[in-house]
Amino acid sequence: MSGDSLADDLTRRTQNAPPELLSRTFFFVCAALSIATTIGLIVLLTTEAAKFFTFSAPLVGVEGETATVVEFLTGTEWQPTSGRFGVLALVTATLMVMIGSSIIALPLGVGTAIYLSEYASPRVRSILKPGLEILAGIPTVVYGFFAIIYITPMLQPFVPGLGTFNMLSACIVVGIMIIPMVASISEDAMSAVPEELRQAGYGMGATKFEVSTDIVVPSALSGIFSSFILALSRAIGETMAVTIAAGSTAQFLNPFNPATYTERALPMTAAMIKLIGGDVTGGGLAYRSVFAIGITLFVITLAMNVISDYVAQRYREEY
Amino acid sequence: MATNNEIEGFGRVSRTAGTLFRYLLLAATLFGLVFVTILLVYVANDAIRPLTADPGWHLTFFLTLVIPTLAAGAYANRRDIAALRTGVFTIGFVVVALMFSGGAAMIFVDIVEPLTWLAFLLALAVPTAVTMAVVSYDHRVSFVAQFVVTVAAFYLSLFGVPGPLGSLAGVSTMVPSLFGFVAGLPFAPAPWLMMAMTFGPPVAYVGSRYVAGDRDRRTHVLVGAGVLAVVLAGGALAPFAGVDPVPGVVVAAVGIAPPLVYAAGTAVNRPTERVGLLVPATVVVGSLVGAVAVDVVGFAGPQSWVDWAFLTSSHSSTAAEAGFYPAIGGSILLMLTVAVLAFPVGIGAAVYLEEYAPNNRFTRIIDVNISNLAGVPSVVYGLLGLGLFVTYLNQPPGTVLLGGATLGLLILPIVIISAREAIRAVPEETRAASYGMGATKWQTVKNVVLPRSFSGILTGTILALGRAIGETAPLIMIGAPNVKYSLPAGLSEAASAMPLQVYAWSSLYAGDDFYQKAVPAGVVVLVAILLAMNSIAIVLRNKYQSTE
Repeated sequence: MSGDSLADDLTRRTQNAPPELLSRTFFFVCAALSIATTIGLIVLLTTEAAKFFTFSAPLVGVEGETATVVEFLTGTEWQPTSGRFGVLALVTATLMVMIGSSIIALPLGVGTAIYLSEYASPRVRSILKPGLEILAGIPTVVYGFFAIIYITPMLQPFVPGLGTFNMLSACIVVGIMIIPMVASISEDAMSAVPEELRQAGYGMGATKFEVSTDIVVPSALSGIFSSFILALSRAIGETMAVTIAAGSTAQFLNPFNPATYTERALPMTAAMIKLIGGDVTGGGLAYRSVFAIGITLFVITLAMNVISDYVAQRYREEY
Repeated sequence: MATNNEIEGFGRVSRTAGTLFRYLLLAATLFGLVFVTILLVYVANDAIRPLTADPGWHLTFFLTLVIPTLAAGAYANRRDIAALRTGVFTIGFVVVALMFSGGAAMIFVDIVEPLTWLAFLLALAVPTAVTMAVVSYDHRVSFVAQFVVTVAAFYLSLFGVPGPLGSLAGVSTMVPSLFGFVAGLPFAPAPWLMMAMTFGPPVAYVGSRYVAGDRDRRTHVLVGAGVLAVVLAGGALAPFAGVDPVPGVVVAAVGIAPPLVYAAGTAVNRPTERVGLLVPATVVVGSLVGAVAVDVVGFAGPQSWVDWAFLTSSHSSTAAEAGFYPAIGGSILLMLTVAVLAFPVGIGAAVYLEEYAPNNRFTRIIDVNISNLAGVPSVVYGLLGLGLFVTYLNQPPGTVLLGGATLGLLILPIVIISAREAIRAVPEETRAASYGMGATKWQTVKNVVLPRSFSGILTGTILALGRAIGETAPLIMIGAPNVKYSLPAGLSEAASAMPLQVYAWSSLYAGDDFYQKAVPAGVVVLVAILLAMNSIAIVLRNKYQSTE
């Protein structure tokens, strides 16, 4: 920026005076702390998870029970108390949350975004946007409670075989929870579409409907996709709602079969809460398995964030 | 080709698809909002149970509260829509201020002794005065000297002069700190007078500045004296209402005086909006009259689960007796800790990235890193807290400090991102003007950038704080207790929190008893506090967006 070089020129003489040095160092340390957090997170998750696996435990000097990576990644049974650590049972449940919630959140979120960016008057928008923010601000534990107390009983007459704890209500509340995220990021992308493109569309005789669906949405596609990925990563990391609503029995279910959504299951995040908050106490293999799940979760969400960033950057239409 | 058909159809556009699409979109937008609103109404109904009240109770309040308020609102609206807005805002202000004062009162009843508070304030006020004197005495005093004097003044005041080998070696202090001196005084005024001494003057000063502005001295003194009288009356009258005078003073100073000051300011400075004050006045008078009438006639109110007992008692194994007090207090302490730990660092990082950072690889790494940290699930931050603080640093699990640090790390990226946006919104010209006047970078940040972006930063930090108090998973991971019977006495004690208590009730005590009584009540309190915080943030944002 030209402003920056101007500022640099004007402040060069004073830049090493004690107050300047002190304040600059303080601000720099604050910013560097975020790097330290990431490094701490990665080092900690890696070393703790290393204590869990057979091949790496000797490296960090841990003796005792361990589990093999193959067993962890391909096993389909999750029973920490009897030494079965097949994370697939948890991953499939997480996948179910992802699929179920996206069926609700993606269409509704994009619909909301189109409405807010193309149709809503400024006055309507000034009411709806804070409303959506409040939707996003309700604690997840409250959503979990809503799922077991109101949503499941409401659904039970219509869905045969729906137990008290089930994936269906968990998916519904997670879906509702992530609507604001899809909506706000997609809307930003749509608002960034230049007015000229819309005018050109109207000039060609297109209706508002055609302009919205054939010009605005395709132009903002990269932003919409990146909002999808971010929202899905949020759904994966969502903890309390699924812990309360989905029950605590790990089962290996087929996420692509709608009938399995009436069952209870244990997504990764809920498994972590169950292990730490439950009967497992410090040091044992089950305790260390929490970090193994944690690093799996961290890697998945990090990958999704990076992909979302990449999509938004790489496929952005430049105007 | 059938050119004929093309000509016939030319220029005709079906509106059906477009209209249908439009309403579909509207439905999509409203779906989530309506759905959650319905659920909130359900839970409020379960918690407050308005239908258990006598019909006469409803009728009384309908006559004394609802109808007069609607009438006053309609009247104000006819005179001036701005007046109605002021009136509604005043009501919101009263509610939020009372909530806030309740939390503050809780701290002084159970956690911080009034004497400790007074000693601490004095121990901070004296060195602050010394620093200001040094700075304004002579600008030629070098920065290093100023810095040394400041640090020394604060240190001496808070910790005293250590013994010859320093307190590190376990030698007791030679000269007690000002803090220790005040706290150890053999005579002290009554606790509520101490509270009135510390709370009254600042509130009175701000109030008189707000109401009297640049009017004459007499108005200032009058307003200030009025505010002081309200604060003192809070302490003096509290015993008659069966409340301790200490919380009485706090509630008067934090919850009652500010809305009164705002109302007085409206009445004095904005004559056209004066009529709007009828609305809050009607609400207050209407509720009082209604309450008296109901009491006299003997209509029973609703048997709400959110009652005084729920707010002031601790957990119990029967849902009807279970209370929320330790959880509310724990959440307040956690919030304070998070604010102290995360806000300076977050705002500092934002200032660095916006004002100082050179355009190089390291800056880009920090940039990408922050957006990735914002996407890390909260439960993983809990693991970080557990592994780093409990396992490696051997901290006891579940303490306020630990919870605050973990939640602070969790909201740090959010604080940084929102503070950066606020700082970026400061026009480049104002910075250039500052540099043009010969200001240094730090002077520009201190005098131009931070003051101009203050309300934006405040909005973002309030929203982030709201996120922090709603979080449960990190607290479970660091081993915060599910059930706590008292408020933590300090930062190094274990504390519960509101969402954690709700989770404990809906999992450990799962069953119809808790599902129908304690949990809805807890949810209502939690959501009410969050909605209050979010609405403060939104009102603040609307205000500064409209002024710029």
